[in-house]
Amino acid sequence: MLKIKDLHVSVDGQEILKGLNLEVGEGELHAVMGPNGSGKSTLGYTLAGREDYEVTSGSIEFDGQDLVEMEPNERAASGVFLAFQYPVEIPGVNNAYFLRAALNAQRKARGEEEVDGVTFLKTVRASLEELEMDESLLKRAVNEGFSGGEKKRNEIVQMAVLQPKLAILDETDSGLDIDALKLVAEGINRLRDGKRSFVVITHYQRLLDYLSPDKVHVLSAGKIVESGGPELAKRLEAQGYGYLEKAS
Amino acid sequence: MSALAEKLIPKPEALPADHSEIRSHAMQRLMQHGFPDTKTEAWKYTSLRVLEKRDFTGQTGAATPLPSYPISASVLHFDHGRLVSDLSALPEGVRVSALPIDALSLAQYDERYGQQAGAFQWLNLAKFEAAWDIEVSGDQALVIATTTSSEFNGDVYPRIRIRVEPNATLELIQDQRDEGQGLVNIACEVELAQGSRVRHFIHRQNSESVWVQRTDVDIAKDADYRVVAFDRGGRLTRHDLKMRLNEAGAHGEIDGLVLLNGSQHVDWRTEIVHATGHTNSREAFKMLADGQSVGVFNGRIHIYPDADDSHSDLNTANLLLSDDARINIKPELEIYSEEVTASHGATIGQLDDRSLFYLRSRGLSEADALALLKFGFAAEPLEQIQNDAIKDWALAELKEVL
Repeated sequence: MLKIKDLHVSVDGQEILKGLNLEVGEGELHAVMGPNGSGKSTLGYTLAGREDYEVTSGSIEFDGQDLVEMEPNERAASGVFLAFQYPVEIPGVNNAYFLRAALNAQRKARGEEEVDGVTFLKTVRASLEELEMDESLLKRAVNEGFSGGEKKRNEIVQMAVLQPKLAILDETDSGLDIDALKLVAEGINRLRDGKRSFVVITHYQRLLDYLSPDKVHVLSAGKIVESGGPELAKRLEAQGYGYLEKAS
Repeated sequence: MSALAEKLIPKPEALPADHSEIRSHAMQRLMQHGFPDTKTEAWKYTSLRVLEKRDFTGQTGAATPLPSYPISASVLHFDHGRLVSDLSALPEGVRVSALPIDALSLAQYDERYGQQAGAFQWLNLAKFEAAWDIEVSGDQALVIATTTSSEFNGDVYPRIRIRVEPNATLELIQDQRDEGQGLVNIACEVELAQGSRVRHFIHRQNSESVWVQRTDVDIAKDADYRVVAFDRGGRLTRHDLKMRLNEAGAHGEIDGLVLLNGSQHVDWRTEIVHATGHTNSREAFKMLADGQSVGVFNGRIHIYPDADDSHSDLNTANLLLSDDARINIKPELEIYSEEVTASHGATIGQLDDRSLFYLRSRGLSEADALALLKFGFAAEPLEQIQNDAIKDWALAELKEVL
């Protein structure tokens, strides 16, 4: 599904990712953990195609396609979804209108038929209910005036509606209380169907308790330095990231 | 005399032959003070050089057909400054007549137009052909359309006064479509009698003409005036809108949206006067400037002494869409009464890269994402239109042009 080889990425001329390798198979959920500044968010933005994140060498293959050459919207249409660490507020743009426009733009790019208003509303209402979000959010502007938790849950609603093949969740757990964390985890688990893949970027183990990852990776100074099973996350939680500095 | 004055100030023999005192007074004012330049405070950001270079041939061209309007309304069509509509078809509650020139009050204009800054108003008074008086009673809908053709290369001076009788309501669309390269200099007065209500939508789409408009709105006791302007720009457009809240209970609102691109230049100057207490106003004005365009907005709130318990809120938010576009904004509060609330805010920004990326990461193309962001910013003033049919009409056009 996703093959990242020797990936080097610079932002404003400064190299952040320095030879990152990562392979995520179909239906797998991988956790990427690491200290602040290790390049976790850079990995998320790079996969989604943010312009100022420059791939200087290496490759990203997604579903047999070269992701690096694709525009952000082409990546979305081919099935990549990034749940933002800081979802952006967009005043004046209606939440429901935006999400339906996005869904239909993706479907159009894939040569599928557009979704009519009624079907769309049905889908999005069901997702809102599952995440215990008020339906009135649909009529509000995208993320405007949403609480931190509402913004994160809104990302999961978008993911559920857009049905990506690969979801990258960038610190979706940060700023969530324990109830919201559970809702978000359930939202992710509902989408695990044995085909869809996930990269869950996080600081902490607590979200992973609900998600049972197939693999856990440790990102440090722009590289994956250690990989293992769920027990690795538990160990990191217990001992912290301090050992990475000592090792380097 | 400046080159501009030389060009625009009419020779006595070119004046309408009514020999009225008001015309000679207007001429005197013009000769005395001439036209403003960028040293004149009220014209600081708007140069009239483009007018200097024009030679008006007086050519007009064929009448421009009007679009179909979203509401059923009486239509008064001013083509190249002349009223061409059939007045016999008007409903009983809309009476339209040409005012005798002696009915215009010189003293009132002296107070209103002042000196140099009001040069175009004096020019209108010196040269207008007919002053149309529109009297409205009952519950009415009216379209006043002002059009010019692509051959238009003259100067025209429409003059309109709308008087809304006590407790009457008026849904007014002022639709201005210019395709020419002349001068359109409009004077418009709206008087709201006690308890009356006016919803005014100004739609303007100008081409190469220089378009100067002065609108004076007078609001009496418990009357309610709301204007929404959708200005799609032009080579040079200047609109002075002065709204006076003259009696207790008067309420006035202004919402404006200006879209600019290419080398367009639009200058809006609004003034809200709280002449007495227990009056309320609100204004929100937005401009989006692309290309090498220039947008100017000056919003003034003036609260008189003893106008206690008045409330006013003025906001302007603006978006620069290119490196070469310019926006100049100035909110002014002049408050002489203590028992009032007045607030103002002003911002100029650019589209946010993070917002653009967020939308694109969800599947929207760059062009669609940009259009959606611009629409999200620009729709707000048009959302204030209370009539749903007019609102949908305006929003559909906005969506189409972004």
